[in-house]
Amino acid sequence: MRHLRSAVAATAGLSMIALAACSGDSGDTGDSDGTVTLQMVESLTNPDRTTLIRGLLDDFEAENPGVEVELVSPPTEQADQTIQQMLQSGSGVDVLEVRDITVGPFANNGWLYDMSGDLESWDGWDALTDNARAVAEGDGESYFLPYGFYGLSLFYRTDLVDEAGFDGPPSSWEDLLEQASAIQDPSSNTYGYAFRGGQNANSNVVAAIEAYVIDGLDTENAFLMEDGSTIFAAPEAQDALETYFALFEEASPPSAVSWGYPEMVEGFNNGSTAFLLQDPEVIATIQGSDTLSEDQWGTAPLLVGPTGRAAQPLAVAGWGVTEFSEHQEEAVALVQFLASEGPGTEFAQANSLVPPIASASDDPFYSEGPWTSYVTMTENPDTYVNVTQPRDVSWWTEWIQKSDQEIQSVLLGEMTHEELLTSWDEFWTEKYAAE
Amino acid sequence: MTAASTERPAAATAGGGAPGSRRRPAFRARHGLTILAFLAPAIVFVGWFTYYPMLRGANMAFRDWNLWDLTSTPFIGFDNFATILSDPVFPTVVRNSVLWVVGSLVPQLLIGFALALALRKRFRFRGVYQALVFFPWAVSGFLIGMLFRWMFNAEFGVVNDLLGKVGLIDAPIPWLADPTLAMVAVIVANIWYGVTFFAIMILAALQSVPEEMIEAASLDGAGKVRMLFSIIIPTISMTLLLTVLLRIIWIFNFPDIIYAMTGGGPANRTHIVTTWMINFTQQGNYGLASALGLCVVGFLLVFCAFYLMAIRKADQS
Repeated sequence: MRHLRSAVAATAGLSMIALAACSGDSGDTGDSDGTVTLQMVESLTNPDRTTLIRGLLDDFEAENPGVEVELVSPPTEQADQTIQQMLQSGSGVDVLEVRDITVGPFANNGWLYDMSGDLESWDGWDALTDNARAVAEGDGESYFLPYGFYGLSLFYRTDLVDEAGFDGPPSSWEDLLEQASAIQDPSSNTYGYAFRGGQNANSNVVAAIEAYVIDGLDTENAFLMEDGSTIFAAPEAQDALETYFALFEEASPPSAVSWGYPEMVEGFNNGSTAFLLQDPEVIATIQGSDTLSEDQWGTAPLLVGPTGRAAQPLAVAGWGVTEFSEHQEEAVALVQFLASEGPGTEFAQANSLVPPIASASDDPFYSEGPWTSYVTMTENPDTYVNVTQPRDVSWWTEWIQKSDQEIQSVLLGEMTHEELLTSWDEFWTEKYAAE
Repeated sequence: MTAASTERPAAATAGGGAPGSRRRPAFRARHGLTILAFLAPAIVFVGWFTYYPMLRGANMAFRDWNLWDLTSTPFIGFDNFATILSDPVFPTVVRNSVLWVVGSLVPQLLIGFALALALRKRFRFRGVYQALVFFPWAVSGFLIGMLFRWMFNAEFGVVNDLLGKVGLIDAPIPWLADPTLAMVAVIVANIWYGVTFFAIMILAALQSVPEEMIEAASLDGAGKVRMLFSIIIPTISMTLLLTVLLRIIWIFNFPDIIYAMTGGGPANRTHIVTTWMINFTQQGNYGLASALGLCVVGFLLVFCAFYLMAIRKADQS
């Protein structure tokens, strides 16, 4: 019986420990000496970025004695699911990376803390750009402070454009088709355009359509026209597709059907393709290229449509606080620190992001070299119109998967342009009708 | 016969005399509780980490359960199953899954067998060679997929480069952009990855083949092919059959390589059941993903039951 009692006692003890461990209660994140420990989780993880964030957190800890920050950096591919699971468990996270595609669902599920009350007295508010303030204000609730924006620009090969007899980079989609087709020479492994046919192929197709329908576009929801119909039902969308898919037929490698971000960037980086439409984060990659010298490439503003205007769908991400955090005061202080002028500029520059800090545009970093195209776009808001895409709807990922798959069907000749537009129009119309 | 020896059968057999049948329940209760106490941690862990999530997952399959909107998760019966079965992609996914399993399994088995036979013989640096052969099994499937994605890249990949250099192709083959070739490419990657497992298992099983039997057969004039089919394969047949069963289940449930190489594309042509399931989870639609998961579990249970029955029948005959 003695053995039995011991075994039962040991079992009970182990079970209690196991259950306690599984309960995930992070309420006790304050040490006995009064130190508050915040858990912060990032989602777009990469080693350099993690090192940079850790450095900024060290600065925050130095400025805020008694507060420590533990950074959780899940691998990028699994980060979103990991964060969702952490949020669903209702514990283990105080500060987290929030993106325009996650803020809606996260807020909808009651996982994000509304910081609007805390921002009223924040002295860093005036340092933000108008765009950053608009994002931070949201629809009345402040669920995150942006750390930067991702906006499209055209990376181009200056030498190949010169050799093909053009005076400068293309400014419109039609110009791009003309120049890319002229440069295309598969026999020498040179291609005109780094066509995106794989993951997220929809982003560039939609950018082209929006440039063609810009004059009637609802800038608050850039998937709709001002009359409430979808952009895919507009007659100009058909013209946009004709030009855009001609880029694949006439100026891209056949294998681009499966090209995603890595292949596109590598194609430009190793000198195989002349044009690349991408976010500014690519600047740092190309600057580190072993193949291209500084004078061989540049960036140009986003391509305009037939009426000479373009829609710039700025994507945005930042830092937010969880609703269930037991140290919201300290967590908000951390988010404000990261979004303030010094750390915010440092983070945006190191990650090649359009900065959320107004004074950053005066920095030579942004006013010279490849960043000049962004300055041009910022200085011409009537030509390069900032628009908001409905990236916060709960069906956004479903849309991404559907649209990517159907674009590949078009590229494989299994779907017509008309069928594609009809399918997309029906999808968005039905989704909005069901809301 | 001594008194002690007359008492032993009574205590040890269930149908013994009266003293034995009175003591047995007490023995069972006490020791049973002890055993249960020692097993309890394992039961708690397995129950908590395996069966509880499974039941939660099964529950989601009957609900409109979207992670992006958890404000309402109503019970919807079999709607998720109906959605999956009526999806136009479903037949492609089923066909691809069968092709993926058969196309990967057969070459893995044959090449793995050949490797195991080669490694069975003693030769110089056999240990190093074994380690090199077994190494891929230690690498993440996702990483393998990423490596093969670049190897099969039409313009920058080593596969087309080599084929071009030996004069087999004039223009780059768009491996991952062509629906048929993409399926071939992911299967090739999986064959490379899975050969190792068969080699490990078969090599271990080959240790059970009696050397003297091989020698006797050799003295009787049996050739290598005869020895393979009459001695080696019959001796390790049970290991082979169970290894094949395990691999069928694993390959069926192995999305890593396809997900990294093609993401199920182009145009859904390389989607198998599990990559399709990942798509649903990325949409946040855990209801559809769970329904698909339950279908997979049901199918594999039925398949395993038939497979094991067939093995038993063959063994008895």
